[in-house]
Amino acid sequence: MKKAHTHSRRLFLQTSSMLASLAFIPRSVKAFYLETRNFLVASKKTGSLAVSVNKKLYTVEADTRTTLLDLLRENLQLTGTKKGCDHGQCGACTVHIDGKRVLSCLTLAAMVPGKEVTTIEGLSDGEHLHPMQQAFIECDGFQCGYCTPGQIMSAVACVQEGHTHSVTEIKEFMSGNLCRCGAYNGIVEAIQKVAS
Amino acid sequence: MQPFFEATDYFPADTDGRVEAMAKVTGKAKYSAEYQAPGLCYGFFATSTVAAGKIVSIDTTLAKQADGVIDIITHEHKPLVPGLADETKIRESRFGLPVFHTDKIYFKGQPIALIIAETLEEATYAASLITAIYHAETHNIDFELSHPKVALKPDGKERGSLQAWQQAPRMVEAEYTIRNEVHNPMEMHATIAHWTADNKLKLYDKTQGVNNVQRTMARLFGIPNDNVEVMSEFVGGGFGSGLRVWSNTLAATMGAMQVKRPVKLMLSRPQMFMLTGYRPQCWQRVKLGADENGKLLGLYHQGRNSTSMYENFSEGFTRECRLIYTVENLKTESATVPLNLSTPTWMRGPGDCSGDFAIESTVDELSYLLKMDPVELRLKNISNEKDPETGKPWSTNYLSECISRGAERIEWKNRPTGSGQLTDGDWKIGYGMAVGMWGAGRQNASAGIKMQKDGSILVQTAMTDIGTGTGTGIQNVAHDSTGIPKNRIKIELGNSSLPPAPSQGGSTGLSSITGAIAAVCNALKQKLVDYATVVDNAYKGMNIADLLISETGISARSGNAPSISFTVLFDTNHIDTIAVEASAGPGDERQKFSFCSSAAHFCKLRVHTKTGKVKIERMVCTVDAGKVVNSKAAANQISGAAVGGIGMALMEEQNADNALGSLLANDLAGYHFAVNADAPIIEVAFINKPDFNSNPSGAKGIGEVGIIGCAAAIANAIYNATGKRLRDLPITPDKVLMG
Repeated sequence: MKKAHTHSRRLFLQTSSMLASLAFIPRSVKAFYLETRNFLVASKKTGSLAVSVNKKLYTVEADTRTTLLDLLRENLQLTGTKKGCDHGQCGACTVHIDGKRVLSCLTLAAMVPGKEVTTIEGLSDGEHLHPMQQAFIECDGFQCGYCTPGQIMSAVACVQEGHTHSVTEIKEFMSGNLCRCGAYNGIVEAIQKVAS
Repeated sequence: MQPFFEATDYFPADTDGRVEAMAKVTGKAKYSAEYQAPGLCYGFFATSTVAAGKIVSIDTTLAKQADGVIDIITHEHKPLVPGLADETKIRESRFGLPVFHTDKIYFKGQPIALIIAETLEEATYAASLITAIYHAETHNIDFELSHPKVALKPDGKERGSLQAWQQAPRMVEAEYTIRNEVHNPMEMHATIAHWTADNKLKLYDKTQGVNNVQRTMARLFGIPNDNVEVMSEFVGGGFGSGLRVWSNTLAATMGAMQVKRPVKLMLSRPQMFMLTGYRPQCWQRVKLGADENGKLLGLYHQGRNSTSMYENFSEGFTRECRLIYTVENLKTESATVPLNLSTPTWMRGPGDCSGDFAIESTVDELSYLLKMDPVELRLKNISNEKDPETGKPWSTNYLSECISRGAERIEWKNRPTGSGQLTDGDWKIGYGMAVGMWGAGRQNASAGIKMQKDGSILVQTAMTDIGTGTGTGIQNVAHDSTGIPKNRIKIELGNSSLPPAPSQGGSTGLSSITGAIAAVCNALKQKLVDYATVVDNAYKGMNIADLLISETGISARSGNAPSISFTVLFDTNHIDTIAVEASAGPGDERQKFSFCSSAAHFCKLRVHTKTGKVKIERMVCTVDAGKVVNSKAAANQISGAAVGGIGMALMEEQNADNALGSLLANDLAGYHFAVNADAPIIEVAFINKPDFNSNPSGAKGIGEVGIIGCAAAIANAIYNATGKRLRDLPITPDKVLMG
C-alpha cells in the first residue's frame, strides 16, 4: 500500500511538470491528473458550526480539521485559552464543556455544537472575579501566567469534583496541568482556600 | 507544611498580588501569538529528515496545490536577508542557524521550508506535503562516544599547583554525566511579523529581551533600529530560551516580506525540542583533596559539553567551583564536542547548575569519607569574606547563614549520619543538602516616568517580565522612592520603543532595572521641585530628599515650603504631563567588591526499594538575595526553581538515537518535567539583608540560585537513604535499582 502510494506520488510529480509545459492536454490525461491530485492532496472541507461559548452563540464557517482550541484562539479571538502542546499533554488548553474539564486541543470544533463551552473569559461574573481567580491572585498561583487559565479551569473542576481533601489529593488531581515556572505552591494554596 | 516567608517587612498581608495579576487570571493577558493584524496569515515549518548533508532539491509541487497556500519559502525561493547574503556575512552576523540561506543540513529537524497559508490548518497540512532530496552525509549525535576524543583545554586561571596536593590524606575522584535538558517554557516560541511600511517592521515576539530582537533584526535587514518595533508584553516563560533570536523570528519576518502580509508563526511543541536551544549534555570529572580535618587542599574540575556543528557553545560549568570554597590549589579544564544537533543555549543556572551537581556531589562524598557532617564540612570551607577567585571582598555573602537556617528548618539533626539507616517498610529515608552560588550582576538600564495631572504615574521600560514579577518589583521600588501610593503607579513593559533595558536573564533583570527606577524617581522629584519653584520660591534649591509627594500634591517634609496641589503645579507651569527618563548602571563598586547571590538547599526524601521510585518529602531553600523587594514573587521564583531542580535530578532527559540521528523526546509525554504531584510544598526563606552596593534597592538576583544545588541535594539525599552514589542525571528509577 505504502509502495503504491510512493509510486503514484512520484509519477504525479513527474507528470505534473510535463503537463504544465504542454499547451494542449487531452481530456483523459487532465482527468487522471485531477484524480491523482485529489488523492494526494486532501482538499479542505468546511462546515457551518453553531457553537455556544460563555453563553454566547457563535455561528462560524470552520475547517473540519479545526480543534476547539484553534477555533477559540484563531476564529473567535478568545485567546485566554492557551496552546501549550496541542497534544493533550500539558493542560494549558483546559476548558469546561457542560461543566466538566476538557482538553480543547483534543476536541474537534465539530464536536461541540449543542454543548456549552466555558473558557477563562467566561468564568468571572462580569467585573466580579470567580473565587478561584481571586485566590490565584492572592496566593500568587502563577508566574508567567501562560498555564494559568488552564490551571484555573482545572482548579474549579477539581473543587467541584471534590478532590481537595489533602495537599496530596489536590496535587494528584492537578497533575494534568503542567507549570514550567513551578508555581505549584500557590496553585495548591489557592485551591485549598476556595475548597474551604 | 506551609511555605515559610520570613521577608515580611514588605507586603505582609498583600492581597492585591502582582500588577499584571488581573490580566493573567482573566485570560486578558496577550502573549505574542495572540495579536491581530490586518490580513494576518499563518506560517508553519517543514523540517529536514536527515541530520547531516545538503539539500539537493525541495519539492513543493504538492504543497502548492493544497488549499489556502499563499507561498512557500525555501533556500531557493526567498527574500534575501542582507545580513545573511553570503558565507562571510553569515559568519559575521553571529545569528546562528542561517535559516533558508544555506543548503547545508546541520541537524534533523532543521527548517527547510516555511509554508504560508490563509489558515493554521492549511499551513500545517501543506507542510506535510513537502519532500526533499538530500545528499546525506554521515552524522554524529553520540556525545558519550565522541567526547573522550576531544582534548581538554585550560579553562580559567590555575591556582597553586596540581602537584601540591596529590598526597592529600583524603581524596575523592569521580565522573558525572548529565543528559540534555530542554527549557520547554509553556508558551511555544511565536512571532507575528508585520512590515507596516517599506523598511518598517513590527514584531510581536516571544523573547526575554525586546531590544536584543530589535537590534538583531535591524542588523540582519540593514535598517535602523528605530524602524523595528518589538513587543513582548507577556512572555509565557523563558528560562533562557528567550535570550537568543531564533529561526521563527527571522522566518516569520522573511515570510511577511515575501507575501506582503503579516505572518504568524508559532513553533509546534515538537519543534521546540529542536529550534530554541537546550542545556547541553555534559561529562565532568572532579578530584577533590582534603586534610584529615576536612580543610580542602585542592580541586581539579574537568568537563565537556555538546555543541552544534555551526556554532560553539561552552557551558562554563567550571565557574561554580571557583566561587564557593577557599581552595588554594585549583585547576579547571573544559572542551566542547560538536554534534549534528542544534546549538544549545543558556538554561536556568547555565553552566553553574551542571557544574554544581558535580562539585556538590563530590563534597558530599568527601564528608562521608571524613565521617564529618556535610553541613560542617561546608561551613568550614566556604569563603565567607572574599571571592576566592578575584580576592576581592564580597559586597555581601550570607551563604553560611543560609546553611545554618536551612539545617535548622529541616531538622538536620535528625539525619542519619551513615547511609541506608532509616527505613519505613519498603521505603528508605534520607537527608541531603547542597549549596549554590551565582555572580550577582548588574547592567545598564533605562526607565521613564510620565506623571499625569492627577499625580498618578506611569513607569515605563523596555524590560520584559517573563513571570519573575519585574513589574511588581518596579512598582514597589517606585512606591518606596516617591511615596506615591501603589494604586496610582502603573507599569508598562516589554516594548522596544520604551526606554531601553537589557534582556531579562542571568539574574540581572531586577538588579539592573531597580537602579534605573531609583534614578528616574529622583529625576521626577527634581523636576517637581523645579516646577514647584515657579509656583513658590520656597522650593528653590530644595533637596529632593525633602520633597513629599502625596495623593493630592507636593509639600516639604521639613515644613520649609508650603503644599502645592498637582492642579496648581501643572496649571501654573502650563503643562499636562511631566515626563522624565533616566539611566543607571554599575559603577566603581564593581571594582572594589565581588557580588554574589547564594542558596542552601535541603532535601528529605524516600526511596522505594522495590521500584526505585524517589519521593521528595521536603525541600527547604534558604536564599541570600539581598533585600527582597517582592516577597511573594521571590518565594514563588525560588520554589519554582526548586521544582525545576527536582526535574533535573529525577526526570528531565533528552536522549539521542545515533543510528537515526534523531532525538528521542519531542513532546511533553516523552520529556518529563516535574508535575504538581512530583513536588512537595517547597519551603522558602530569605536572609533578606540588603546589598546597597549591588544597586540602590539592595536586591540581588535570584533567578538562578534557586536551581543551582537542588540536583546535588537530591542526589546526596538518595545516597543518605540508600548508600548508592548516583552520578548520572537524571536519577530515574532504573538507575536507583541498578545502582
